[in-house]
Amino acid sequence: MTPSNTRQATNALLFLGPACLFLVCLLLIPIIVDLVVAFTDMSQTVRVGEFTTDQFGKLVKANPEALLGFELRGSFYRALSLSAVYVVCTLAIFNVTFALILALTTTALPDWLGGLYRAIWLMPRMAPSVVYGLLWLWVVDPTDRGLLNQILLAFGLDPINMKLDAPVTLIVFANGFIGASLGMLILTSSIRSIPQHLFYAARADGAGSLSITRHIVLPALRWPLSYITVFQSLSLLVSFEYIFLIMGPARSTMTMSMLAYTKTLAPGIGSGQYAYGAAITLILIGIGMVSALLLYRLTNMKRLLTRPRIEVQ
Amino acid sequence: MAEVELRNLRKDWDTATAVDDVSIKIENGEFLAILGPSGCGKSTTLFMLAGVYLPTSGDIMFDGARVNDVEARLRNVGIVFQSYALYPNMSVLQNILFPTRFQKTDDAQARAHEMAELVQITDLLGRRPSELSGGQQQRVALARALIKRPNLLLLDEPLSNLDATLRLSMRAEIRRITRELGVTTILVTHDQLEATTMADRVMCMNKGRIEQVGSAADLYLRPDTLFVAGFIGSPPINLIPPDRDVLSLPDRCHTLGLRPEALRVSEVGMPATVLSVEPMGREAMMTVDTPLGDLRFIEATAQPKYRPRDLLRLTFDNADTILFDAKGQRIPEAHATLKETAYA
Repeated sequence: MTPSNTRQATNALLFLGPACLFLVCLLLIPIIVDLVVAFTDMSQTVRVGEFTTDQFGKLVKANPEALLGFELRGSFYRALSLSAVYVVCTLAIFNVTFALILALTTTALPDWLGGLYRAIWLMPRMAPSVVYGLLWLWVVDPTDRGLLNQILLAFGLDPINMKLDAPVTLIVFANGFIGASLGMLILTSSIRSIPQHLFYAARADGAGSLSITRHIVLPALRWPLSYITVFQSLSLLVSFEYIFLIMGPARSTMTMSMLAYTKTLAPGIGSGQYAYGAAITLILIGIGMVSALLLYRLTNMKRLLTRPRIEVQ
Repeated sequence: MAEVELRNLRKDWDTATAVDDVSIKIENGEFLAILGPSGCGKSTTLFMLAGVYLPTSGDIMFDGARVNDVEARLRNVGIVFQSYALYPNMSVLQNILFPTRFQKTDDAQARAHEMAELVQITDLLGRRPSELSGGQQQRVALARALIKRPNLLLLDEPLSNLDATLRLSMRAEIRRITRELGVTTILVTHDQLEATTMADRVMCMNKGRIEQVGSAADLYLRPDTLFVAGFIGSPPINLIPPDRDVLSLPDRCHTLGLRPEALRVSEVGMPATVLSVEPMGREAMMTVDTPLGDLRFIEATAQPKYRPRDLLRLTFDNADTILFDAKGQRIPEAHATLKETAYA
């Protein structure tokens, strides 16, 4: 090896080292540990007695008549379908659609008003999670102290108990209201980066506001929308803090990530089943990888990542 | 096609006036160039014509009808931008067809192909704008602007992003196309060559006001103001405070204008010392020290005969001198004559 080659290698190591270390320590090692623990009987004593597939037995049971030779047990099936409903609804209604509406409307407003409006939507992000969770608890309080019920009563309607009657709607709303702001920011900056001349040209070509949105703005948002979809669906899949803060370990909102958390780390509610939690997490990692790859293909992200999207004119 | 008239047009921004009392009438089918330095209000005028900006006061008339309050999309104006502003997500054909979405047209496809033929891009219709060269994008933008048979075609610095050779051919090309269609055209440019070669009339603007409207020759030979004299012509005109010991001229003359090519070497004339020689290809520009001051002088030769510190004698035709008063207005029919004392 020549000295210059050595120097290049050292430079590369210095440059990429911290990032690699970060990835290995916080991503790769935990996954490996999770993989190993999932096949043990580790529980509160944090000791490995034997290597076993028992944990997966708690989630699925063999059934020769089923399509894949096994069927999901009740609680696991519930968690899976709840996760799916929660992720798809939050993503479709808030993180993408509502974020798009926010971005489109606030960029059409005068600058100061649009900025103010966006700042209001960003506020939940600035507040600590616990404060945000507490606010929601106050909003949906089942007594007449709750904000929602005060409004309903003012309109002469009956008070409701969202936590009991519409728990999934509640967690979708709570996560959506905070999640929409990220998409809003990304989409706003994408709309802002469309050259002003394109709008002038479209106006002169005879296009009205709706046509401009459809033919000029939306096509320019294709890549940011793909990015938001992939990124947000993954983060929703593993997020549980607002669900836990608002609903606690309620069965009605026991998504996959909530299940993994309550079985392992949540104090005083049947936690300490580390191997069981690891098995659930392992499945969650698998689902995350598969859905990331699927979305990657579906949205043609490869093109976004390999070719510059900026057109120099 | 339309006759366009601006009446006392004015545009104020928060801090400045961009266009100040502009009035002009553009005949049906005429090609007008608005020429001026950046910030002179020429683009603002264009955008007011397009309906992108609203005038602060004054009227915009198309064929005698006031269109101030008519939305851009209803004015039937075609516009070509410096950046071409093609829609990046659409093919060339879709770009050209875009305006027909908003107009009742039965033969949109046929017309698009007709336009493509006119601007000679028939073999590019399936491509995306990002796959085209600057000149090709320019042609697409032109076809898109023309497909709806606009009342008025607006060109905003359309050639600035092209290289020199391409600019030359596009200049002729745009001229040919607008003539063929007989469309009223307004070109905004800071390039005097573009304005004078393409337009029937040139409107020269400075600081939001019209300095002069006229043919290329009017602006060059009879500039109304000091600004026009200085802005038109390359290398620029010599503008000198007249020395009355060596020149006889009217009392109110404040500045003497003398084009570099008006000077010529002669047996009898004022003495001049060559300070510098800059070969420019077809000709050479020299700076010479004379009794009138330092002057730019063009020697029409590719092989300069003179070198710095050479001595020669220069003269000019009195008719070639342009005189301006203290306000910078040209004094009509007045010329300067070199006195005998200058020959010493």
